[in-house]
Amino acid sequence: MKALEKLNSHLKTRLTDLSKAKEQGRKIIGYTAGGYLPEELVLACDAIPICFIQSGDNNALKDAGAYICRWLDPFWRSQIGYLTSGKDPYYTIADLIVIPITDNHIRAFSNTAGYYTPEIESFVFGVPHVKDELALGYYLQGINRLKKKLEDFTGVEISESRLKQSIQLCNRERELFRQISLMRQPEDFAVASKDFVALNHGSFLADKEVMVEILESFVKEVKDSTPLPKDGPRILLTGSTLARGDSKVIDIIEDTGGVVVMEEFAEGIRPYWGKVKLEGDLMANLAESYFMGRVCSGWFRPGTERLDFLIKLAREYKAAGMIWYQLMYRESYKVESYFFPDILRKETGLNMLTLESEYDTAETGPMKTRIETFIKTIRS
Amino acid sequence: MANYYYEILKLCGFEDEEIEEERSRIEKSFERLGIGPEDMEMAENWVRQNHDVTLKGVRKLLGAWLKELVDLVLARDDGKKIVYFGFPAILGPGLMLSASSEDVFVCAPDMVLDHTMGQIFNKLTPILEAGEANGLPPGHALCSLWQAKVGGLAMEMIPVPDLALASSYFCDMGSKADDLVTAKYGVPAAYIDGVMDSKWGEYPDYLPERVHYLGAQINQALEKAEKVLDIKLAPDAWERSQKDSRGFVNNLLRLLDLMRADPVPVSIVELELLEALSGSSTGRGIREGIKAMEILLRELEDRVKAGIGVTAKGAPRVMTAAGHCSDPRVTRLVEDVGLAVPLTMVLSWVGGPKFKPKGNYTTPGEKMADYELATGNFHGTDGIIKLFASGAKVMKLDGFIAHYLHNCRPAALGSQTQKKYLEEKTGLPVLALEIDGFDSRSYSAASLRTKVETFAEMLKAKKRSAKG
Repeated sequence: MKALEKLNSHLKTRLTDLSKAKEQGRKIIGYTAGGYLPEELVLACDAIPICFIQSGDNNALKDAGAYICRWLDPFWRSQIGYLTSGKDPYYTIADLIVIPITDNHIRAFSNTAGYYTPEIESFVFGVPHVKDELALGYYLQGINRLKKKLEDFTGVEISESRLKQSIQLCNRERELFRQISLMRQPEDFAVASKDFVALNHGSFLADKEVMVEILESFVKEVKDSTPLPKDGPRILLTGSTLARGDSKVIDIIEDTGGVVVMEEFAEGIRPYWGKVKLEGDLMANLAESYFMGRVCSGWFRPGTERLDFLIKLAREYKAAGMIWYQLMYRESYKVESYFFPDILRKETGLNMLTLESEYDTAETGPMKTRIETFIKTIRS
Repeated sequence: MANYYYEILKLCGFEDEEIEEERSRIEKSFERLGIGPEDMEMAENWVRQNHDVTLKGVRKLLGAWLKELVDLVLARDDGKKIVYFGFPAILGPGLMLSASSEDVFVCAPDMVLDHTMGQIFNKLTPILEAGEANGLPPGHALCSLWQAKVGGLAMEMIPVPDLALASSYFCDMGSKADDLVTAKYGVPAAYIDGVMDSKWGEYPDYLPERVHYLGAQINQALEKAEKVLDIKLAPDAWERSQKDSRGFVNNLLRLLDLMRADPVPVSIVELELLEALSGSSTGRGIREGIKAMEILLRELEDRVKAGIGVTAKGAPRVMTAAGHCSDPRVTRLVEDVGLAVPLTMVLSWVGGPKFKPKGNYTTPGEKMADYELATGNFHGTDGIIKLFASGAKVMKLDGFIAHYLHNCRPAALGSQTQKKYLEEKTGLPVLALEIDGFDSRSYSAASLRTKVETFAEMLKAKKRSAKG
């Protein structure tokens, strides 16, 4: 696909481009994964948002070992490893790190950034774990504080018109992701999961306008493409985090004949179902869309909204099975993985395979055996 | 009078008339808990081996836990409306519900099981295993306190509650495990949400938004509790709940003063019994616990006057955050290797710097939230560590044993940081010790001994060389 080639080529020079932008006085705002930072605010003050989304390499965990014990989610330990070791330049190029605090795993990263790397300024705000008016108000206060911080930090006022413009751009990106994702609902489709995930991961690092162009080209290309072979069972893949660099599960599923038709992840896949309204109070609209409107992550309580959404996705994407890919020690997902299979089976008749990872290469063999068996069971 | 449980109840401070009066309740609850005559020898030896039962106050404290256990197990039989809260918790909402109706029973059942089935009967393992088999499997660093709760429910030892007060402001595991209980038993949950979103170093400051949000969540949860339980909060529930807890806090201050003595007059094993009780019970347990504490304090005053302590005079003094909840051997280990423990997290909380609440709030929820954020407990990691650091001078410490619970994310995330911070701020040596504070199957006293012993020898050598 030419669009993907363009993305790769853009990302190859991205760090150089970012350095140049920095030299020209633009600020780079690094932020943590989870989808709770409205990129619109960063774009509206002419800064560049870069999401910390790399992971999957066990070496980063070793680097993190000096700062944190092993009993936390490996994705978040990796973030600590990348930040403190400086081995991934995306993590050290940031002028300011914004950390929307969701659960305690993110808090571990936040503490580490604050205590061990004070030379890079960080800004935190909280994401409540329940959905109600009080929680919405709290989230809105958080992003209002962020707006002020960004204005002070960049010296650029986030005016109504600038914010509207950036919302339009981000809405366009979400709309394109949604469009691409929906292309996989029919039996014949031409969007490989790996490509969809690559686009998602790329979008966390790429220039927003370039990304939108890439997505538009991708949509056009897909429409003219030959559908993928459809003999494999359709798999809904879900979990806490699908990081850039963590392709093991999708690789194995596809190698063993399964076809991933949907990826539902809290971290690593951009929330693309909603749209931010352009009328009325734009900050309230951002809060509504980024907090209330999006389907909650696994650490929300209760987590029923997300579980119901998974059932809906399974039906709409005609899944033949669900693979629940969680990272070790992410307790919210672990607990849900115990009682959800019964609900899923009752509602859809589908089976669920639970996989866990600590980004260890030794996991590949057993994981392959389990996925192969699952795919065979579905086929039979 | 020779009931099979007579000796163990006497060891746990029961008076003869209490045993007689409670006979049917004790028998009924013991039967449900699977406690029989065959368990008595083990229990008596276990208690004698691990607790200082020469102190009447300690015996009474054990008794307070046992009474809480009996009330918990029989709460449904007693016609109570049952509310469980997660540990650690902001205790105010539970205390207010308790203060509002005699028909409501509110506690942290997992803590009660740990302190009784663990510390008294040494029979916690089957309960933990039942928790593991019912949604909280081993090997994933899931909370063993929650395993006890889920196990207790699965084994039908404790009743299914009418409401869960979920402490969504501290750990993620607890509230999510409340979801598990909802999925299995249909128990409604009132989530008290909060976000620990302070920046590192921010403590003792915090944004008023945090108070408003957490406070409003508490108020909202109380409203839900009123509906679910079909009760009305007493107009003076807040004042009464404060009155109930004030006695305990005042006694803690007296205790802190006694713990300054050299030698330290009481083991952290016994301190743990009373500290944990205050965070677990809102009913008979804590009321009896405060009485027991009065007795214990008088006994400790006598010990201090007589120069009696649990370690030798001049022993190096270290702080540990808290004792083990279910296996006293793990806690006792520190003293066994010759270290005195004059300070715990709870004592540092009453003895540390007084950060006053920031605002003049009017609703109970906001008052509670403001207080809790000011004291650091639910503020953030740096708040807790700063409290520890402040205790060093107050109690003339020689070092810290910085526990972190491997299966508690809020505790585990401070693993290396608290060691580095305390060493830098106080100049004292810190042993970071990974434990499971509620289940000793993996982190037993034996497995921890080498580390603690080496640390103790180092501190002793340092003290000797300082003396010249």
